Amino acid sequence: MSSVLDLPLHEAQEEVSARDYVEASLRAIGERNPQLNAFLHIAREASGAFPIAIKDNIVTTDMPTTCASKILPRFVSPFDATVITKLRAAGAAFPGKTNLDEFAMGSSTEHSAFGAVRNPWDTSRVAGGSSGGSAAAVAARMVPVALGSETGGSVRQPAAFCGIVGLKPTYGRVSRYGLVAFGSGLDQIGIFSKTVRECAHVLGMIAGHDPLDSTTSARAVDDYAADLDRGVRGTRFGVISEAADALQGEIRKNFEDAVEVLRSGGATVQRISIPTIKYAVAVYAIVANAEASANLSRFDGVRYGHRSAGADSVHDLYVKSRGEGFGAEVKRRIMIGTFALSSGYYDAYYGRAQRVREKMRQDFEAAFRSVDLLLTPTAPEAAFKIGAKTADPLTMYLSDVFTTPANLVGIPALAVPSGFDSQKLPLSLQMMGPQFSERMMFRAASFFEKQTCYWKQKPAL
Amino acid sequence: MKITTDEARRIAELGHLSLDAAGLEKMAAEMTRILSFVDQLAEVDTSAIDAVPEETTPMREDVPRPSLDRELVERNAPDWADGFFRVPKVIGE
Repeated sequence: MSSVLDLPLHEAQEEVSARDYVEASLRAIGERNPQLNAFLHIAREASGAFPIAIKDNIVTTDMPTTCASKILPRFVSPFDATVITKLRAAGAAFPGKTNLDEFAMGSSTEHSAFGAVRNPWDTSRVAGGSSGGSAAAVAARMVPVALGSETGGSVRQPAAFCGIVGLKPTYGRVSRYGLVAFGSGLDQIGIFSKTVRECAHVLGMIAGHDPLDSTTSARAVDDYAADLDRGVRGTRFGVISEAADALQGEIRKNFEDAVEVLRSGGATVQRISIPTIKYAVAVYAIVANAEASANLSRFDGVRYGHRSAGADSVHDLYVKSRGEGFGAEVKRRIMIGTFALSSGYYDAYYGRAQRVREKMRQDFEAAFRSVDLLLTPTAPEAAFKIGAKTADPLTMYLSDVFTTPANLVGIPALAVPSGFDSQKLPLSLQMMGPQFSERMMFRAASFFEKQTCYWKQKPAL
Repeated sequence: MKITTDEARRIAELGHLSLDAAGLEKMAAEMTRILSFVDQLAEVDTSAIDAVPEETTPMREDVPRPSLDRELVERNAPDWADGFFRVPKVIGE
């Protein structure tokens, strides 16, 4: 059955009243959420010009924020995140908060304290993570657009698994004020949408300098939708050899076909080597978790969140509240991060990881001297079965092999649907560009989307 | 890098996390697996990179502005009295 939620945002807004649009979204959430577990909180009512779902690690004054953790029961923020303030000003309505891996730590949304999100294309499979709820909500046509967050691919990988567009903007392009911090040197709020145009539209709403986040850039916000119809003639693409050579089977074929679509539009394609890319997951495991171990020290049972009932000293209060409140993956990451920063290991782990990260940044900088955009598949595989990777944390981390580099070097990256495998599971093409090249990425991705039209296919629920 | 149960206990104390004996043993094994994977970074020649450039945080003027509303803060507090967070005894631990 066709609905206004199948249309891109701008077309839907012409088709129905704002009130009907938001109500259609609330109704779709009510109908489909029991199957997918994409939302942790559904608003009783919402009003505005268009609905947008918000990952539940972005704080809101009118809805609770849980970070999908037992350590934050009943927390309602005294302030709105800057992206929420900006979206309110742009007329957005907020129908609910979406499920995630606890504190955004994971690649499948199975580490949520409130149960896994199910993939709308095959409910026995994961939706990806950590922003799996936002991805499933857009893919299942419950909302036209959603916000997620990224520390190592947490928007792009679930976008790939759910067959939609996912953007991680340049580090510093979107304010993180009110995004519950994970790895502050990597974190960035990202966008999910069905189409590239909707994504460009929402980025225009949320981008820009914010005095409340000193890492935001003062650079003027681009007109992101200006070049969407300009094609790729003359654009220089680089296929990352280390990634392309590692591909097999259907993923390889799909990637080669995607590259061909760009070439046929008049783009040039060359191979580019980024030798350090294969170390990205290892670097990420140290850098992100070191930062997480510091950021999560604020959850101590004193000012907000879960407080252990059995504590008889303040030290005991910290240890027990955290021990009871945090889930297994969060503890694992705090442990790895604490280890990497501890006396005697700091230079061998944190120091070395930062040096490899700097080398990777130089590799990317060199690559962008000869090409405009770099290409890889977004993920090394299609959505996996629920439970397939939970027993081995390392296997789960390797799911982010192609997405973590963009976070480590601070560049923008976009996932765009590139078709389906033989099991009808979505596959995805990733584009990475130099810092602040979002406008060019949108142009290239929009061309690809127009040639392929995969966004028009939707899961049967 | 092999992490022993004793080492995991020391790290858990530093990170203010309580883990029982079985939890520590499992954690030590998982940390060993993850850190052994990370150890591949030793093969990267980073001798040309002597210092990682530190991005400095821009400074701003220290201008007074309203802070959080106490009532809203109280609403999220696990234990609150007379405008303060209450905690178990700190002095004399």
